[in-house]
Amino acid sequence: MNERAPREAASDPDAAAAKSQIVDYCKRKGALAVGVADLTAIDLVAPPGHRPRDILPGVRSVISVGVGGQTQGAWTVPTKAFAYFGSTEGRAYSIAYGCSFFIENRFRARSVYCPPDMDPEGGARIPLQSLKLHAELAGIGARSLAGDILLHPDFGYMYYASVFTELWLPPDRPLDSNPCPAPSCVEMHRKTGQTPCMKFCPVQCLSGDIDERGEQVEMRYDMAKCAELTQQYEAVPAMLADAFTAADAPARERALSDPDNALLWYKMSVGSGGLLAQCFECMRVCPIATRAPLADPIRRAAAADKKE
Amino acid sequence: MPRGLSFEQIGVTEAMIATYADAVWALSNNIQVRRGDPIRKLDFAAFEAQRPDLGMSDGQIAAVLGLTRDQVLAIRVVTEARRFRRRNYHRLYELGRGNRFRADRYVAPAERIGYRADALALREAIRFDPARVAGFVRSGLWGDDTLTRWLASRVADAGARTALSWPGGEATYAELAARVERFASGLHALGLGRGDVISVQLPNVPEFIVAYLAIARIGAVMSTAHMPYRAAESRTLLAHSRARAFICLSEAKDYAPAAAALAMRPGLPGLEHVIALGGPVEGTVSYASLTASKGALPDDVASAPADPFLLLYTSGTSASPKAVPLTYQAMLGNARLGAPEHRITAADTVLSAPPYTHLFGLYSFHLALATGASNLLLPAFTPPDLAQAIATGRPTVLFTGPAHLAALQKSGLLDGMDLSSLRLIICSGSACPPELARAVAAKLPNGRFTQLWGMTETQAGLYTRPDDPLEVSATTAGRRSPGTEARVVAADGTPLPPGEEGEFQVRGGLMFPGYFDNEEANASAFSDDGWFRTGDLAVVDAAGNVRITGRSKDVINRGGVKYNPRDVEDLLDAHPAVMQSAIVPMPDSIVGEKACCFIVPRPGNAPSLEELCAYLLERGIAKYKLPERLETVAEMPLTPTRKIIKSRLAEVLANKT
Repeated sequence: MNERAPREAASDPDAAAAKSQIVDYCKRKGALAVGVADLTAIDLVAPPGHRPRDILPGVRSVISVGVGGQTQGAWTVPTKAFAYFGSTEGRAYSIAYGCSFFIENRFRARSVYCPPDMDPEGGARIPLQSLKLHAELAGIGARSLAGDILLHPDFGYMYYASVFTELWLPPDRPLDSNPCPAPSCVEMHRKTGQTPCMKFCPVQCLSGDIDERGEQVEMRYDMAKCAELTQQYEAVPAMLADAFTAADAPARERALSDPDNALLWYKMSVGSGGLLAQCFECMRVCPIATRAPLADPIRRAAAADKKE
Repeated sequence: MPRGLSFEQIGVTEAMIATYADAVWALSNNIQVRRGDPIRKLDFAAFEAQRPDLGMSDGQIAAVLGLTRDQVLAIRVVTEARRFRRRNYHRLYELGRGNRFRADRYVAPAERIGYRADALALREAIRFDPARVAGFVRSGLWGDDTLTRWLASRVADAGARTALSWPGGEATYAELAARVERFASGLHALGLGRGDVISVQLPNVPEFIVAYLAIARIGAVMSTAHMPYRAAESRTLLAHSRARAFICLSEAKDYAPAAAALAMRPGLPGLEHVIALGGPVEGTVSYASLTASKGALPDDVASAPADPFLLLYTSGTSASPKAVPLTYQAMLGNARLGAPEHRITAADTVLSAPPYTHLFGLYSFHLALATGASNLLLPAFTPPDLAQAIATGRPTVLFTGPAHLAALQKSGLLDGMDLSSLRLIICSGSACPPELARAVAAKLPNGRFTQLWGMTETQAGLYTRPDDPLEVSATTAGRRSPGTEARVVAADGTPLPPGEEGEFQVRGGLMFPGYFDNEEANASAFSDDGWFRTGDLAVVDAAGNVRITGRSKDVINRGGVKYNPRDVEDLLDAHPAVMQSAIVPMPDSIVGEKACCFIVPRPGNAPSLEELCAYLLERGIAKYKLPERLETVAEMPLTPTRKIIKSRLAEVLANKT
């Protein structure tokens, strides 16, 4: 399944050294986890038009960078404030952006950080590229019952970015095991039929089953419900439509500028995430997202103290 | 449009959207189902088998449905835009900080805190005048006062102090607040909330105060029905106020309010709940069950100071009752500023002889709550009960009316009473006859007698201060309350100088915003520049003390000579054979109007008209003011605040002639 040329063997010492330098660079810049996804595997999953070569025709490697997470304090803030914490733009992308320059400077291979957003032709829920797929195949996250949000056994919930490069790098393998569901979630599911993420989702967009071994059998995610709550992609055209059809000038003014709609304009103007907010209630109650050993700064510090 | 093409150019019609919308919706990413963990396990065959369930791209959907990718894109985007409801994101604002979403507990904000249509209609009655509001707020007349905030402040600074005491019990401010919270939770559980009118017909018992504060706690509006009201009066008020709930006694002495309210409900579609205090009455909600409520109230049900919180009805001495919406800003600001003027402090125990269903009674409670004073409750006034309450409860401040004092005096109880605990009497309801004022003041070894003028529309507009000389307090209603403007005007609206009688007008921070649902009354109640025509006649002296001399509607026009019969009535009230008097005009074909005198004689001693006229002439009354007809009645028609309803006397007269 790998299309790389024969000289690019998995044990290629130059490629392994280059990968090591790239990983070091990303970690120095704040990445928690870095991996290389198998390009052939991506192509088998991603539909045409959404494969790395659709962005960079000569791509030979996809690097996935994970940054994270939240402080324990962050999990306690009101949701409308937490939404700002979830923006990926300012975190993983800056590392990926730097990483692509680093590769071009150091290895003279064309690179690009993967555009982070939706396919403008595909509408609101079709990404140009699946960063999630890249990260999963790069072994820095596994799909959870919470709408396929990726979780890492050590780092919990991370934000991801990808770098496409014409430099060949040895790919990593996906995680050997999936940390989701956590034992406490399995226990709760056995008693109630729901995991915490399912129970506390504000629009009840999550459901799923777990087998006797405590592994995922099925994940069901109503993305429309979730997006309707958190993303509001359709809000602006709907708002304009309301204004066009308003009965009179005051109603027109309200359609454009009532407190909710004014908030949308603000969110748009500052380019903040999904226009309105993301809710993260599923992650707020996820034991892996909040309490994984290296995702919890308080536990991390306690562990360090113990070590000393 | 896709690739810059119109729907027509890519062959998409409304019919096509309608046909394929469901299929495109189902196949796209909107609902994802993943079985197992195929990508992590690199099991691409398993992944491919379930790809349709994971959500398909537009191109894949196009292949399945036999459409072009552009057609699928167009259909999908339009369908999503039409199917997504907006404003779900309001839920986001309620999450976080441990407030996790629970579907079974979620109540949409529109249901939880939204104003109903009736409540909005009442809200509309609060006519906002930006300049007026800004001025009052800037000057400190209006602040952030609400009953709920005041109660919370009292719990914080005086939680262990007695808030209420009544025959057989008492409650501290902390205990009162806990009861209020439970009862409010019970009301909220009934679906009552912001802006809803809840009518209360209870005597001065602790349950009244709990209900009042609980109604305020959920942002609702209290309307009151006086205890003497029966089905006819209550029905009128409940219908006009659009009350959603009625809190009343299960059984009164000679009346069953709860059963009567239930019987009215078919004609009152807005009346959803009858809450009965006392024994169980089938079909009602038990007051006691609401006090046992344990549900927590959301913070956002609380009122804002600009909200109406009272909808009171005028006492109706001269016409049909009019509905007066009152805001926290106006009423509580008036009380907050009034407390130091009356010198009421946390050390006081306040007793109200008038009912809490009347604004004067509520004013006493507002003052006590503002300062942290205690309230001594007198369930219902009778001379012996008032005397007993003063003897045992030892109040320091007594709110009373001339009628109460007169009843005490005429019952013979006043002479034997120990009033040494009282340091202040505030007398209102009508102008107190000076002789009565002097007699009561003489009974106060440690206290002062003061008078207060107010109306349902204004609360406390004028009062004498505790340090005023007795003659000022015995003969006038005192000076303006803080933030109140007052003037006396001639019939043409020209302001009159001190010493001249005219119509008394007020305006300022205490003023009600206008009658609810009564444009006719509003049209005549206010001058163009915002003065409220009180309907009272008054004279102001050089020091600013105002003497209320009568009602403009009581003026008798005898052949073009107009006079106010108040001084005649005062003299008649002092006649040894007269318990109570009232003079009303009677139509006359020659001079227009003549004076008819109604009296309640003392037992076994009914004076004649000639005797009374001679008595009046001896005391210097001009001949043209002498009554020309005498009617003897067993009792006067009285308002719940014991004012004579002269319009009823005029009706009696009309029926006789």
